[in-house]
Amino acid sequence: MDNKQDVWQGTLALMVLRTLEARGAMHGYGIARRIEQVSGDRLMLNYGTLYPALLKLEQEGYIASEWGVSENNRKAKFYKLTRAGRAQLKKETRQWEETTDIIARFFAPEESV
Amino acid sequence: MGTLRRFAIRLAGLFRKRRRELELAEELASHLQMHVDDNLRSGMSAAEAWRQARLKFGGIDLAKESVREASTFMTLETTWRDLRYAVRGLRGNPGFAAAAILSLALGIGASLAIFTLADNLLLRPLPYRQPGRLMMVWEVSPPGNHRNVVSPANYRDWKAQNKVFESMAVFREEPAAFTDGARVEELQEQLMSADLLPMLGVQPLRGRLFTAAEDLPNAPDVALISYRLWQSWLGGDDGVIGHTVQVRSRPVTVIGVMPPGFYFRNRNVDLWEPMGLDPARDYRKLAGRYLMCVARLKPGIARDAAQAQMTTIARRLETDFPVFDTGWRVNVEPLRESLVSEVRTSILVLLGAVGLLLAVACVNVANLLLARYTSRRREMAVRVAIGAGRGRVVRQLITESVTLGLAGGVLGVALARWIVLGLLKVAPADLSRNIAIEVDYRIVLFALALPMLTGILFGLAPGFVAGRGDLMRGLREDSRASVGGAGRLRAWLVAVEVALSVVLLAGAGLLFRTLVGLQGVDPGLNPARLLTFRVEIPRARYREPVQVREFFSRAMGQIGRLPGVEAASAVSYLPFNGMAAGTDLAIAGRPPAKPGEGLGATIRTVMPGYFRTMGIPLKRGRVFTDADNTLDSLYRFIVNEAFVEKYMAGEEPLGQQISVAMDFKNPFGEIIGVVGDVKEDALDQAPEPTVYYIHAHLAYAGMVFVLRTKVDPLSLAGPVRRVIHGIDAGLPVAQMRTMETVVRETFARQTFSALLLGGFSLVSLLLAAVGIYGVLAYSVTERTREIGVRVALGAEPGRILRLVLGSGMRVVLLGALVGTGGAMALTGLLKSLLYGVRAHDAVTFAAVPVVLIAVALAAAYLPARRASRLAPMDALRAE
Repeated sequence: MDNKQDVWQGTLALMVLRTLEARGAMHGYGIARRIEQVSGDRLMLNYGTLYPALLKLEQEGYIASEWGVSENNRKAKFYKLTRAGRAQLKKETRQWEETTDIIARFFAPEESV
Repeated sequence: MGTLRRFAIRLAGLFRKRRRELELAEELASHLQMHVDDNLRSGMSAAEAWRQARLKFGGIDLAKESVREASTFMTLETTWRDLRYAVRGLRGNPGFAAAAILSLALGIGASLAIFTLADNLLLRPLPYRQPGRLMMVWEVSPPGNHRNVVSPANYRDWKAQNKVFESMAVFREEPAAFTDGARVEELQEQLMSADLLPMLGVQPLRGRLFTAAEDLPNAPDVALISYRLWQSWLGGDDGVIGHTVQVRSRPVTVIGVMPPGFYFRNRNVDLWEPMGLDPARDYRKLAGRYLMCVARLKPGIARDAAQAQMTTIARRLETDFPVFDTGWRVNVEPLRESLVSEVRTSILVLLGAVGLLLAVACVNVANLLLARYTSRRREMAVRVAIGAGRGRVVRQLITESVTLGLAGGVLGVALARWIVLGLLKVAPADLSRNIAIEVDYRIVLFALALPMLTGILFGLAPGFVAGRGDLMRGLREDSRASVGGAGRLRAWLVAVEVALSVVLLAGAGLLFRTLVGLQGVDPGLNPARLLTFRVEIPRARYREPVQVREFFSRAMGQIGRLPGVEAASAVSYLPFNGMAAGTDLAIAGRPPAKPGEGLGATIRTVMPGYFRTMGIPLKRGRVFTDADNTLDSLYRFIVNEAFVEKYMAGEEPLGQQISVAMDFKNPFGEIIGVVGDVKEDALDQAPEPTVYYIHAHLAYAGMVFVLRTKVDPLSLAGPVRRVIHGIDAGLPVAQMRTMETVVRETFARQTFSALLLGGFSLVSLLLAAVGIYGVLAYSVTERTREIGVRVALGAEPGRILRLVLGSGMRVVLLGALVGTGGAMALTGLLKSLLYGVRAHDAVTFAAVPVVLIAVALAAAYLPARRASRLAPMDALRAE
């Protein structure tokens, strides 16, 4: 259980960065909904777990936040990608692809290795 | 970069907490609101919309907590909180806190003080170049004194013949009247050969050291002075070099100032002069042994090799000079060894004792912590039950014990300072003379770390017990008494405390019995109301013996007439003062003694009235009168009983003729009286054969006045000073003390050790009593219900009393038994400090457990009485 959560945190950060890259500034609720949508509702996300991840990314300087007003006129905190965040996303995307590629090889038929 | 940035932000996050909290709450509220809005739009009821939004979000408080955790360093925050909680908890339980902190402070303070002393006295390297290669070279006398002073002639032959020492030098110490013309004081002086200071590798602060030419007879008189003398008396400016002062009424030129803190063997020395041995003189004629010799080993030569070669040389000298050197050997002893061997046993014993005390203190604190934990088991269980992590609870416990440890440590360090200052006041003079105690900060750090470690260790112990999955038991546990693991552990700890206390008490008991024994020893004289002081007249102005005799007779006449003086006299060396002349003698009508088998005796020269003034009883014959104290009177001697016993057993001593090798001419003289023995160096040593001269025939220029007074002896200090200065204003009156002080100083070492060990054992006894009380009081509380049942079933109060006392006493008896065994094994180390009592003294070993058990009974009685008075209904109702 605990280990799984850790993996979650890591991938969650990547998902947040990717979402913000695709959609521009968004508030926490919006990010959460978007992640669920993109996953085709196959991911069950406790929205509460998103906020520590957002804070961590902000502290690391990959995202920045400011208060604004939502499409439905609610006051909300909006997050957007910083330049450092973009670079980090690129790096992590590359790493992710490499990891999945390696893992994929293990599940590929024997002779192709 | 991200990590570093994050660290800085989290650090900053320690501040602006309120604002952050508000923002977080607002953000989460807006999140939920938006979710609810969406849910409503998709057609849910208001209640369902809220429910779903919450459900989807997960625990709101959990999310907040993890955001908080990430936004700053929670560890720091919680530590701070734990700390405040711990301090609050300790304040709420001041008895516990005070007991624990005091235990630690006492243990740490005492051990820190003793360690600091030991470090300064035993462990520090001596402040010379390669001090490990410096050796004292002693002669070994035929009777076996391994630290006999050295003959100048033998020294010169050693120096010429040995191949093991790089250099060799001699010195001796004497008091010297010193004056700058305005004021006169007696200072301690070392006379040394010129190669001594270069051998030590010291440089003067100002000026220069002695040259070889200055170390010859009839060379101009030059001196080095101490920094202290330079600063306090001679103005501390550079003009002092080349300045002329008076030493022993001779003009002496100051050629240099030694650096601050420099000393060689004796920290009291303020003045150094070259000795000026005469290369042309045969010192085996008309001179005895009176020098101390120090030498530096050549590189690569071990002490044993040096000892072997010096022994060979001594054998050769024995053949060459049978009269002077037969039976004499050499002892090569490391300089440090020669300095500390006297006090080493005392210090080591104290180190051991203080280690025991520290152990008792730590055990006591462990015990208190365990007791506190036990009474808080429920609180811990509740805290775990409502969601505190186990780690959190353990951390809380550790924070508390570390807080205690730190408080105890800081207090201990402060206490140590006072103890060191106090110790130096009561310490024997040879241990503490002018010593500049330096505190080693590594030791202080160690002292601070130790209680923290104890705190962590014993904070962990209950912590682990708490951590083990017996939460529910902690909650469920009511007063149905189970003296659980903690209870047994505590009983063991008390047994350990008792055992350690027994060891300390036994040591203290033996030393106290020694002290009582020493105080009961008859010194051979009556020290009450005796004033003593020393006056030395300079040879430079009093050349002739008749002048010396005149001065002292005149002074004695005036002093004897002072109001309040009952009797007055003078002696060359006071008994118990650690120094006296000694030499060979011959008895008329007997064949001359074979070389090496001479008859030895201690020699004192006295003025008329000495024996009456000192209260030394006359056994036979008569004492000296004024008529004897003239230069042309016949040589007559008085001897002591030890002399008669050793050399004239069964003979009539009166009328026998003896000749004492003290002077250029040593005519035979008649023994006219026999007086009682006086102890020589110390009360625990046998008296030595002694021959008394009348002052006129052995006119010492330095004499110690002794005054039997009718009033407080020290009240005469002023009047006698005026008398001496009235005769000669240039004379210092030195070492003004009462005879009682002189006698007391001879057992200062034992007093010092006994005092400290006594103090330590009292503290440890107290700690053990607290431990016993704590364990029993707690077990009575735990067993309230059980006791109630017993009472309800008809148990008498006396039976309950015995029950509780018995359970405590089992532990105490076990501890006392083990402790007695330990003490048996350890008190042998005290042997050299004991007098009149054996290391396994039956009285002490019987008394100590009795004292301890009595104290233990008293400590156990309070809780036992409480138990016996429990009203059964109250007891049963007790939760």
